[in-house]
Amino acid sequence: MNVIKGFQTTAKHLMEDAVTIQYPEQVQKFHQRYKGRHHLRRYENGLEKCIGCSLCAAACPADAIWVEAAENTDEERYSPGERFAKTYEINMLRCIFCGYCEDACPTEAIQLGHEHQMSYTDRRDAIYTKDMLIDAPAEGAASTPQQVEPGAYNRSIPDMEDPS
Amino acid sequence: MSDTVTINIDGQNYEVAAGANLVDAAKWHAGNDIPVFCYHPKMDPVGMCRMCLVELGTPGRDRATGELLRNDDGSLQIRYFPKLQTACTTTVSDGMHIKTNTQQVIDARNDVLEFLLSSHPLDCPICDKGGECPLQNLTMRHGPQASRMYFEDKQLLEKHYPLGDLIFLDRERCIQCARCVRFQDEVVGDDVLAFHERGRRLQIITHSDPGFDTYFSGNTTDICPVGALTTADFRFGARPWELNEVPSISPWDAAGENISLSMRLDRDFGGKAMIKRVMPRQNEWVNEIWITDKARFGHHFTRAEDRLQQPQMRTGGTLRNSNWEAAIAAMAATLQGADGDVAAIAGSGMSNEDLWALRQLLEGVGAGRLGAWPPTHDAAPHLEQVGVGAGTNLSELGRGDAILVIACDLEEEVPIWRLRLKQAQDRGAYLVVANARDTRLEDFAVQGARNDKVVEGDAIRYAPGEAVSVMRDLQKAHPQIAERLSRAENLVIVAGAEGLSLAGSEALAAAAANFLIESGHTGSANNGLLSPLPGANGLGLHYLGFTPQTTLNIMQEPPRVLIVAQAELLDDDPAAQQWLSQVETIIYAGLFDDGISQRADFILPLQSFAERDGSFVNGERRVQRFYTAQGPMGQALPAWKLFGGISQNAGIANLKPSAAAVMLELSGSVAAFQGASYRALSRTERQFPDVGGRDLYYGGTAYTNHGGIGLQIPTAADRGADVQRRDMADVAELRAGEGELLIMPITRLYNRQRSFRPSLLVEQRILNPYALIHPDDAAAAGTIDGDLIEIVAGESKVRVRASVSSEIAAGGVALPRHLTDAAVPLSASVGTVSRVTDAVAVR
Repeated sequence: MNVIKGFQTTAKHLMEDAVTIQYPEQVQKFHQRYKGRHHLRRYENGLEKCIGCSLCAAACPADAIWVEAAENTDEERYSPGERFAKTYEINMLRCIFCGYCEDACPTEAIQLGHEHQMSYTDRRDAIYTKDMLIDAPAEGAASTPQQVEPGAYNRSIPDMEDPS
Repeated sequence: MSDTVTINIDGQNYEVAAGANLVDAAKWHAGNDIPVFCYHPKMDPVGMCRMCLVELGTPGRDRATGELLRNDDGSLQIRYFPKLQTACTTTVSDGMHIKTNTQQVIDARNDVLEFLLSSHPLDCPICDKGGECPLQNLTMRHGPQASRMYFEDKQLLEKHYPLGDLIFLDRERCIQCARCVRFQDEVVGDDVLAFHERGRRLQIITHSDPGFDTYFSGNTTDICPVGALTTADFRFGARPWELNEVPSISPWDAAGENISLSMRLDRDFGGKAMIKRVMPRQNEWVNEIWITDKARFGHHFTRAEDRLQQPQMRTGGTLRNSNWEAAIAAMAATLQGADGDVAAIAGSGMSNEDLWALRQLLEGVGAGRLGAWPPTHDAAPHLEQVGVGAGTNLSELGRGDAILVIACDLEEEVPIWRLRLKQAQDRGAYLVVANARDTRLEDFAVQGARNDKVVEGDAIRYAPGEAVSVMRDLQKAHPQIAERLSRAENLVIVAGAEGLSLAGSEALAAAAANFLIESGHTGSANNGLLSPLPGANGLGLHYLGFTPQTTLNIMQEPPRVLIVAQAELLDDDPAAQQWLSQVETIIYAGLFDDGISQRADFILPLQSFAERDGSFVNGERRVQRFYTAQGPMGQALPAWKLFGGISQNAGIANLKPSAAAVMLELSGSVAAFQGASYRALSRTERQFPDVGGRDLYYGGTAYTNHGGIGLQIPTAADRGADVQRRDMADVAELRAGEGELLIMPITRLYNRQRSFRPSLLVEQRILNPYALIHPDDAAAAGTIDGDLIEIVAGESKVRVRASVSSEIAAGGVALPRHLTDAAVPLSASVGTVSRVTDAVAVR
């Protein structure tokens, strides 16, 4: 009896579409909230959102993030606040893609994207530097560092809206 | 009157010290953290922030009879004040009851915090204080969960206002507790900060030029309960929770300030751990919770790129990079082949372990001449006899006690002593300052009153060079002052070497020792002699047999082989070139090449205090240890390992495996260091006030002492030896003849000394070379203020700008060391001053 019951289940699924996809020819659809590789975001005017506060590193359960901060000047401005990340590195071998860094970020600078195809042949290559993580400036916007009008940015932390 | 009273805190009785205020008493005895912002245990309470409100009651008394009122059950009737009281301004009294956790108190704290936060920026993510911020912590513990205020209504003020070169003020973050203003006023006495405007516009300003002109400005960032004051050195350097703390000792002066090195890995330093900031570490006997700006901002030399990093050896007439193995073998051969004609000059930055290894090496090759550098102060033999007694704490000096400071400028030489002695005077001690010129401490001595308190002091101005006879003849020449000093309950004499030759500094210390012995102020705590010996380990040199007289002897009769260990001879005295040329082989071990590589046959890189373990003896004879913090620069070795390695190679002694092992051998061999094992040196005990724990709101961000409070070497007088006064009938003093002046090298805290130069932040504060000269002497030399003058004393010839002022007595010229590259004499000497007329030079 049990054998028949088992084959009935099999027969029922025979008619359905296959769940398996032919990766890499076929690409899986990601949910909006999928947590892949990190991006450092910019404002529309090209300035970096990251203010180098290191809270992502503090929140990181895998100790994968390394931040060194420095101070902005109007001649060399990276972020609209007083402080920016001079060094920003994520060790992708350590990262567990939990997204705590994203939650901890006070300026929504770090966000986990959908890229998941990361491979390395050297352990050192797993360390993604700031240059690799940061988005390109929006079209028409300058990259950083920018030279700005003195006194144009006088807040420690920019308001959450786009300051431009 | 008993010394303790019983108070009741939240229903529990505690016996607390009488005279304490409620915040201190509750914290110390009951572990009850009454939150505060404006109150600081090292300063007078002002009750400004209202954060420490508590319910306060006292036993009621019958108005007619004065009898204590009792309830029906016989217990005392406690009458509570109708309104909350500030705990910081309330002194404990017997039977006092306080409640710190009632709804009324909780509401009050909540309200105060809501008010403070109504205009506080939400900067915490980038604020240097974030993570160790009292306002942040107390808000978490006592504050409102949400604000009822409009975010848009917050005041927007200047975020980056420089108060001088070293400290930045963020006007938005300031909560107007006045701790910094009061610290400068009450503790330091450099009243350079003030409040400006009123109400919501109230702000901190500095009214000195240059801004925030004091040697203690960094401490205000520690006691600031918010991130309003930050240092230019550490600004955005790291987050506080990312730092590793390593206990250490300031390498700059005889105070031996306990510091904590905040370490973090850094890309700029090749991914190695690097000093991010220097913080004070509590040691109530030494520096309390304060450090000087030199200790805080002067650490950059430890990773200066021009430090020596590779052993070098002269082969075939040129200095070539070598390796340790070859260099050590070659040095061992050189030393053994010198027939015992070897001498060593060690600098005061060498640790005790280093000095011991060097001494062993020299004794092993049959040499005995051990010189101390710089040869300027020779008070150490007297400090060993009648130095301040074991257990001395300068912050115990007060009413009924007396202090005499002679022939030194403590503000520039040992600023922490000057700060603590000034505070002793505030507490009622009688302060006498004797010198041939104005000093900062003298300003305090003659001030008469400050902060509405009468302070007592006197100043003695003597002609340059007369310090010894002034000290010797104090009874005759200044009977009233001498009388007050000798009748004081406790007496501390600080004897320096300004305007004195090396022999003169010894004579001055002897005269001071005589005075102490005669008046019976020896052999007990808070009594005795101090001397601002240069460098961090001036006394360690003495206890290990390195003396400044030997240095003079070495200079007169140069040996065949000379070991120069962490002594920057040419930087301190360019004239040393002459006698160094008579030495056959020079072995130089140090941090920097000060030009000696022109002559030396071996150049060996040593590790700085931050890179290795070791110990220093401070001016109060406290042996204190410091710990390894930073990775070594290049191939640098600790000096004990280098000299131990040579000893091993020469078959003299085996190389010890660690600094601890060297100290263990040292403590067994040299009587003064008996019992000074690393284990004993790292002993700590609970100190008042409690600082550095999770309760940052109370004492500030100074660190708890986990590294050890050190061990004080007892003096001969402490051990009960019969110390004899020395007959001082004839003392040879330096006398300037007709047309001559006494050239007095003086010390400035900020100078161009080789190891201080890499600290660029402080560079702005370093003065241009100058010489202080009395108007009469200037007139005699035909010069006026601002003229270029030439000072000639023996071999040395210095050209500097004249600063003509009656701040100095006639007959002497004060010439700061290390401001000019020219050869300033090591000690005071007789010389002449003339105006430079050569037009090219003047321009």
